[in-house]
Amino acid sequence: MSSQSKNLEEKIDPREAVDSSCKGPFLFLAFSSITWLLAYSIFSMLAGVKVHASGMMADSAWLSYGRIEPASQLALQFGFLVQLGLAVTAWILSHRGKTVLVDGGYFFLGGIIWNVGVTLGFVGILSGEASGLEGLQMPLHVLPILFTGFALIGISLIQTNNRRTDEETSPAQWFLFTATLWLPWVLGGAFLLIHYFKAKGVMANIVDWWFIQNFTKVYLTFVALGVCSHFFSLFSGRGVIGRGYAVFAFWVLLIFGSIGGISVGSPVPAWLPALSTVSAVFYFIGAVSIWYVLHHTQNGASALDDSDKDNFSLMRFALIIFASISILNLFFAFPGMASSVEYTTFGPAIELLYNLGFVGLLLIASLYHIFPRFAVRGLCPAMNKVQNMALILGIMVATLPTALGGLMSGDAVLGAGFYFSSFGDLLILLGSSLLFLNFLGAIVMSIKCCDCLASLCGKRNREEEVEA
Amino acid sequence: MTIGLSFIMGAIASSVSFFMLGLWWPVSLLVGLVAWFAFGLFSLKMDSAFTLMSGAILVFCISLSVMIMRSSDQLSGLQYADTVDEEGTEFRYPVPLLENAPHGEEVYRAHGCVACHTQQVTHEGVEFDIKALATEKNHSAVKEAINRFYRVTGQPASGGAALGMPVGEWETIALGVSAPDAAKARGFLSSAGASVDVQVRFHGEDLEKDEFSNPNGRGWGKRRSVARDYLFVERPMLGSVRIGPDLANVGARLSRSTLMRILLNPKLIRNDSKMPQHRFLFEVAAKGDGDELIAVIEGDEEVYYKPTKDAEALVEYLLSLKSANYPLEEAPVYQPFTSSLPKPTTPTEEVVESEDGGASSAN
Repeated sequence: MSSQSKNLEEKIDPREAVDSSCKGPFLFLAFSSITWLLAYSIFSMLAGVKVHASGMMADSAWLSYGRIEPASQLALQFGFLVQLGLAVTAWILSHRGKTVLVDGGYFFLGGIIWNVGVTLGFVGILSGEASGLEGLQMPLHVLPILFTGFALIGISLIQTNNRRTDEETSPAQWFLFTATLWLPWVLGGAFLLIHYFKAKGVMANIVDWWFIQNFTKVYLTFVALGVCSHFFSLFSGRGVIGRGYAVFAFWVLLIFGSIGGISVGSPVPAWLPALSTVSAVFYFIGAVSIWYVLHHTQNGASALDDSDKDNFSLMRFALIIFASISILNLFFAFPGMASSVEYTTFGPAIELLYNLGFVGLLLIASLYHIFPRFAVRGLCPAMNKVQNMALILGIMVATLPTALGGLMSGDAVLGAGFYFSSFGDLLILLGSSLLFLNFLGAIVMSIKCCDCLASLCGKRNREEEVEA
Repeated sequence: MTIGLSFIMGAIASSVSFFMLGLWWPVSLLVGLVAWFAFGLFSLKMDSAFTLMSGAILVFCISLSVMIMRSSDQLSGLQYADTVDEEGTEFRYPVPLLENAPHGEEVYRAHGCVACHTQQVTHEGVEFDIKALATEKNHSAVKEAINRFYRVTGQPASGGAALGMPVGEWETIALGVSAPDAAKARGFLSSAGASVDVQVRFHGEDLEKDEFSNPNGRGWGKRRSVARDYLFVERPMLGSVRIGPDLANVGARLSRSTLMRILLNPKLIRNDSKMPQHRFLFEVAAKGDGDELIAVIEGDEEVYYKPTKDAEALVEYLLSLKSANYPLEEAPVYQPFTSSLPKPTTPTEEVVESEDGGASSAN
């Protein structure tokens, strides 16, 4: 390295160096994730429409309800939530550790492989190669691709965490670091158990439920809690309050989030649903502890600047959803209550509320905060407001009436719940389309403003001149 | 972490070891103490990536061993069981899928039928009815046993037993009692020398309708589903949402032609059905082109549809689903009083599924 470039590097603000190292990988994963959110909202709305118009698209096997519904779930979980979670994790681990993103090339490559895996899974489900399992709907041969992609990203994130300059770590780092480790373990474990060890009969379902439980209660929850904990302490300008409670919550959530998730009526040994009830109760204790920590950390805090006010409110709203669902999960963990909502639309509605309302909104709020640091032109604030309203309303309308319908109907079907759900899906489609356009517009404008193309053209012209 | 919180962690570790892992209590106590020391007194270093990774690996292993290994150990011993069909013929259960049904299972999987239909019947509980027969010799002892049973269980005296136990006639002692109470009644009455007859009734919305014991039954199966039902299924499609009815026993409820018509257009069977049409499983055919044509009036003309091979395989698979029909040791079906068995009746009407979960007559 020349002395000139060394001097230049020394002049750069360390925060800018960190942002600069995260810029490419973050924007790539964030853009892919928003594209997948758009894909989810389109397919979810199509699935909803098929319930009302049973004859629509009835001649195409690719567009049957049983294919587009799980495909949309794959797009939401593995396309949107995991990818945006990874992008935000990379930024937080770099900033918290005050270090550049290490092995950004692996991160990029992993991101590409992950997207290839999700695309193959998505197309696989639509073409009729679904596994038939609920949590791992994609064709089983896609799992090694997803594992490889995540492992490459994980190498970069773990290296980044290990190169941190601060000795003391924050709860955000514990949660995000563990989440990064956890997903490839459960993904690889589930694949080996089903494909290699040939788990047959209800054992295959137990493995599937084990994966779903770990994916939702550990991976997604830890990513969301890590993000929440980072931004609340950032906005309040102080560390997390109640570190001891955070340690307690971390271990309790990890231990009991990794066990359970089997419903009362399942045709499995009776101790498995009983164990799930016990772990749900303990998990609630962990949720209360982390709620206490986060509530006290954000209490009395105000956003650093005006642009973060909406993000802060969005995050607090997401945290309220987390608290509400934690209470509901405890309530419906007991056999008497659980059997009253078993097999109804209550379960999927609450799951969607958790995925989109808690994890999704938190990640979108983080995106709003991080994106302006990478692009010359930020996201349009007016559009942000509209898309936020559309997403929040959409999530509420798509989930709450359906959940209520499930609660009231027992096993019967409430038509009204589906009509509300479809209207909610429409609003989510509107919100995700605006978010996609907003993001795309900001990227295009940033490229124009930063003269990247002009400088590239200028360089070519100079090269041509030299050749001449 | 404070001493108080670390003590709770120790208590949790101890409870998990004892209740969930089934460890010997001194070992569980030791695990709890170690956890308490680790989290509290030794001031566990959360700042170390090594600590986090080691802890996470430990938790992952616990999760894997508790959820997967332990259930695998228990379920790996499952084998065939002897059972009887509707005609009383004994056979080995479960029966693997035959002929075209395995392909039908793949079609079911490919089209994601599991998104709307479950394949697991549940029950909410079991109740027992007790009858007893006393002779002149043991009449007073049996009466004493009956009174003792009522006193111990707090059951209201029912039927003739309340008025006085007749001699030489079966008399109802208790109705709808729990398994422990039924065991007490059997114990008391047997020791008094009475003959005892027990009727076992299951109740739950999924099970067959019975005006007396299960008035809200939908008729989806005679018993709850158990792990043995899926012994030979590679990846059972149990499902978690019932937008449509449960299909664990659909082969015993619906005929081939009804299933074909439901697949083509569910509204042909039920007007307010929300199930999407599956026209891609059928081909338009000319009148007289095959035996299984389904005529549908579209606009002013009559269109004939012929099932594809996939549709035929799917229907064959659905017809093979009869799992919740046969009694097993771990999942018995309704057992009436042997002292007063009613004459069996043969069903003459075909039952048609309804979207809200009920079953109604097609004729």
